[in-house]
Amino acid sequence: MSECTSRVELADPREPGWPEVSVGWWRNLLWVLWAAFAAAGVVGVAQRFLYGHLPAGYGSYVPWGLWVGLYFHGVGIAGGAFVLAGLGHVFDVPGFRHPAVLRVAIVLALAAILPAFLGIWLDLGRMERAANIFLSPSFTSMMAFNAWLYNAFILVSALCWLLSYRPGSTWLKPFLCLGAFLSAFIPSQSGSFFGVVDAKPYWHSALLPVLFVTSALTAGAAMLLVVRMMLGPGPLSAEEHATAIRRLRMVTLGALVVYFFLEFAEFSIALWNPHGHDRAFDLVLFGPNWWMFWIVHVLLGGLVPLVLFLQRGWRRWMVGSLLVAVTFVSVRLNVLIPGQAVGEIRGLQEAYQHPRLTYVYHATLMEYLVGFLMLAAGMTVFYLGCRISERLAARFQQAS
Amino acid sequence: MSMTRREAVRAGALVGAGVAASVTAVLKDRFGPPPADPIGEETRRQLAVLKDVPQRHDEDVLLRMQRELVRAMAKPVEERRWAMVIDIRKCVGCHACTVGCVAENKLPPGVVYRPVTTEESGTFPNVHLRFLPRPCMQCDKPPCVPVCPVKATWKRPDGVVIVNYDKCIGCRYCLTACPYGARTSDFGEYYTDAAAQGAPSGPERPALGSCAPWEDQPNHEYAKSWDRAHHGSPVGNARKCHFCLHRLEVGQLPMCVTTCLGRATYFGDTNDPRALATELIARHNVQVLLPHKNTEPRVFYVV
Repeated sequence: MSECTSRVELADPREPGWPEVSVGWWRNLLWVLWAAFAAAGVVGVAQRFLYGHLPAGYGSYVPWGLWVGLYFHGVGIAGGAFVLAGLGHVFDVPGFRHPAVLRVAIVLALAAILPAFLGIWLDLGRMERAANIFLSPSFTSMMAFNAWLYNAFILVSALCWLLSYRPGSTWLKPFLCLGAFLSAFIPSQSGSFFGVVDAKPYWHSALLPVLFVTSALTAGAAMLLVVRMMLGPGPLSAEEHATAIRRLRMVTLGALVVYFFLEFAEFSIALWNPHGHDRAFDLVLFGPNWWMFWIVHVLLGGLVPLVLFLQRGWRRWMVGSLLVAVTFVSVRLNVLIPGQAVGEIRGLQEAYQHPRLTYVYHATLMEYLVGFLMLAAGMTVFYLGCRISERLAARFQQAS
Repeated sequence: MSMTRREAVRAGALVGAGVAASVTAVLKDRFGPPPADPIGEETRRQLAVLKDVPQRHDEDVLLRMQRELVRAMAKPVEERRWAMVIDIRKCVGCHACTVGCVAENKLPPGVVYRPVTTEESGTFPNVHLRFLPRPCMQCDKPPCVPVCPVKATWKRPDGVVIVNYDKCIGCRYCLTACPYGARTSDFGEYYTDAAAQGAPSGPERPALGSCAPWEDQPNHEYAKSWDRAHHGSPVGNARKCHFCLHRLEVGQLPMCVTTCLGRATYFGDTNDPRALATELIARHNVQVLLPHKNTEPRVFYVV
């Protein structure tokens, strides 16, 4: 433990308002990044409102693009982070039992899921009717089911956050259990969201929900690891903090290995099938965006973090977990885009030609800019959430 | 585990309540009644089309189908069962149906209801071209309907799958669910956008939309007037072929049927045993598209 802690500068434990980025230059870098993302995002969202969907790259044959990928990535991080922190608190795992630690994870989950909603709202053709999904939902649709599930999750998370201020609350753990249950369901139902689409053979797999849960755990654990390392031990002892970091690293590592194992299982069934396989697999592995799988996912999201996690030193773990948290968006995109890029009707693309009627998708500048807005929004929610948590903790302590 | 007995009971109750609520919601919608479409006497149409034109035994199939349409429209909607039959041996790939449909429904760029695919087979000199018009299949088991999160699309009693433009939120889930690619999204494009962008700047130059007023003319799908101007629906909505329901209401065959040069497209009520469409789909050389998808299409192909 001493070897590990010696390699990172820890913040002073500032009871009770803990959240504080532990290293000065990190904090400055984050501010610069936030400003850049927010500025870019404002341009993107202005384009979206001025020109509608016209500057976007998706069309009718590939109707979902980058924003949907980011949406499911955000939702996955939220579910993964909450389930780990929530169950860690319920089971009194050292390094997870302190309410301040729980609050950081809850704020992280909300910071991941709320911008995801922003992105998906901007993706709608009729944004002003978004409330219809709550006013007249059809639960035969996995989309409506998921939307309600995610909102229930947000409410339960907010409730757990509030209850965490009440020492000895006998409702916190029950609601954490409910939140953890929802968290496990959120990514699995995200997988089912695609899995139920029989029209896309690449999506229509029972393994997809399992893959989504595993990737959510991987990215959620990695993101929690990043945040916990950045914020330092806070109210925890250095020993307890180090234990939590080591555990999160093990969870990330384990989930990463399991994810690649499951992914290999999925691909092996397709590639060893004597009757051939869906063309989407070829697109993933050898298509024009092959680098998204081999470089971003396998190399930067798998092999490099694996090597870094197997070494000692928190900075290596920090880089490894950041890589996992960021590059696992490729997992979503590698499901989303190739699945849509294969049509069932031969010659449909050529039958009536228009840029919106092709099976080729490239995200446009506007889509990337809005993606940056989602990132900036996530950072804002996290920062404000931490600040409010801090103030509220101080006020509660004063009152007691 | 450090939960007390009371906490454990509460956790179980909360999770159980969540599961029960989810199951109830799903079952309610899965087995609930279909949308309340108008049915019965109010849906009968007494049309005077071809009333004064005497029937001949050798008359054009279009006239025959028109008479059958009038007969079908005189019945309540729930007693009609529309189907389309396309004889791909007769299709010459002229795309008149595609163009007719675009004109009838005022489809903007990037929206198409009835493309015609071209398939080339064989090697020279033994080559063959096959043309396959692909309207919406109006499936009896439509995969696009249950995925809609807001009940904006459903199957009518006469078998036509429709979209309520006023409810659709434009999520495009139905587009991904259709194996035929029969739904397209209206992204709000205009044919004369480029001209608008090239127009001189000033207050009259539109930031969005066209210079040409005809592009903002409303269309009349589902027998309603849809105004595209000012980003009104169906801009942003999912759109699809609806067998020209607005034309059927006034005794006209779907546009693609009337514009078909080779008389390769047939349409009729398959609840009518005397209808041409009913005769044709009983033949052994009739197929449906992607039968393995088990969608039970209402569009049949004579091969």
